[in-house]
Amino acid sequence: MLALVGLLSCGKEPIDESGLLITGRNQCFMTFFDLLGSDHRTVLVSGQTVIDTTALTVTAVAKFGTNIQRVKPYCSVVTDAIVEPTMGIWTDYTQPQKYTVVSGNRQVRKTYTVTVTVQK
Amino acid sequence: MKTITYSVLSVLGIWMLTTGCQTKDVTPDSLRNDLLKKTTGPAVVGDRIEFAYALGTTEGDLQNVKAEATIAGATGTGFSGYSWYTNRNTGVDQPVQTATDTVTNGTVSSAKIIDVATNKAVTLRYYYYPGEDAKGKDVSFRFSGTSSSGKEVSYQSPTYRISRMDMKRSLALVDGAKAYVSIADMAVYTKAEVEQNNLASKIDFVYIYRATLGTGNYAFGHAIVAPSNVDYLKDVTLPTGLAKTRTAIDKRVDVKDAQLRGTTGFDVYIDDLDLQQTTFPNAADYAYGFAADQGAFVKTADGAYAAYVYVNSVNNGSKSMTISIKRLKLN
Repeated sequence: MLALVGLLSCGKEPIDESGLLITGRNQCFMTFFDLLGSDHRTVLVSGQTVIDTTALTVTAVAKFGTNIQRVKPYCSVVTDAIVEPTMGIWTDYTQPQKYTVVSGNRQVRKTYTVTVTVQK
Repeated sequence: MKTITYSVLSVLGIWMLTTGCQTKDVTPDSLRNDLLKKTTGPAVVGDRIEFAYALGTTEGDLQNVKAEATIAGATGTGFSGYSWYTNRNTGVDQPVQTATDTVTNGTVSSAKIIDVATNKAVTLRYYYYPGEDAKGKDVSFRFSGTSSSGKEVSYQSPTYRISRMDMKRSLALVDGAKAYVSIADMAVYTKAEVEQNNLASKIDFVYIYRATLGTGNYAFGHAIVAPSNVDYLKDVTLPTGLAKTRTAIDKRVDVKDAQLRGTTGFDVYIDDLDLQQTTFPNAADYAYGFAADQGAFVKTADGAYAAYVYVNSVNNGSKSMTISIKRLKLN
């Protein structure tokens, strides 16, 4: 029995081109979104970020004075899912940005449009 | 063949075991020295490098110490006549005078150890203040000491690169008064001074304090704003002819430079490399909401200078802010 478990545990799991595990999960949605300023602190107004997993939109409000041309996005997604293109780089949010969430099994893709307005 | 190889290796092994572990009976030198560089930050003009030079003898008395720098230091360079010990009751370091006749002449500094029975081993501080002419150059030090028994020891330090940066501490900014900062001059001016001294083309940013701004009265606070920014300077009567230069300003909250802060306890330093390599893609021409210990990387509109502006303190009541600047000439 132990040998059988051992053999099964050594099975080769598929990985994607980034070396991330491809799993059986097909859930595909974003759970959290934030933007950081040049000082690596959030620029978003607390409680104003809305993630609509049906309409596939994210709307957020940045604080007065935010240099929206230079912010760094990051988000949380459902287990095993990934985001394309990669977040965590300085991005200009004067126009809405699109990010695609890809499920753990890499079969489901949902493209979110992120729109950020700045307090005037 | 194999047998011969094994035999040779065995003999060699036994020889190494018997000879390799032998220790020579060496009589320690009666006069010995050691050196510790206490300063961890970059060597910047306006600050100093601190060394602790230790000297001890088991024969006779300590007499003199000498340090020779490859480049003469600025005013203040030389030995201190005091050693330090920690008071066991209070935990506070206490000075005790162990040397006298501390003299610096050109590149050479010297001191005479005071002839008392407790001075068989002392550690003296040597301070080196880099001069303007040392910027960008390498400097090293040769420390030496003598004893009454006629012996002399010396210690050659590694080489240290003197920073090309300029540093200016404690510039007091006041909203509506001393508010116009020139990175080229490392100075702050009033509107009248800018106009009278034809400095309108040299101002890189303006200091303002507004508790709130915007239609929603949003928190704003202490800010530095490039002359190009019309939004935040629209209620400021700027000096006549002020050039609308767009200085790139990138705020930071976690770069507590120990030299600009002027206190120990922080091990973060802006070095030449930071100012050389900092990039400003899509950087703003303002930074706001400053609190003490925060700051901003700044690049002048003409690309001549990169700088780090550190906020030492802010005062909402007097609408004032004290800053310190490290600056590097880029071209």
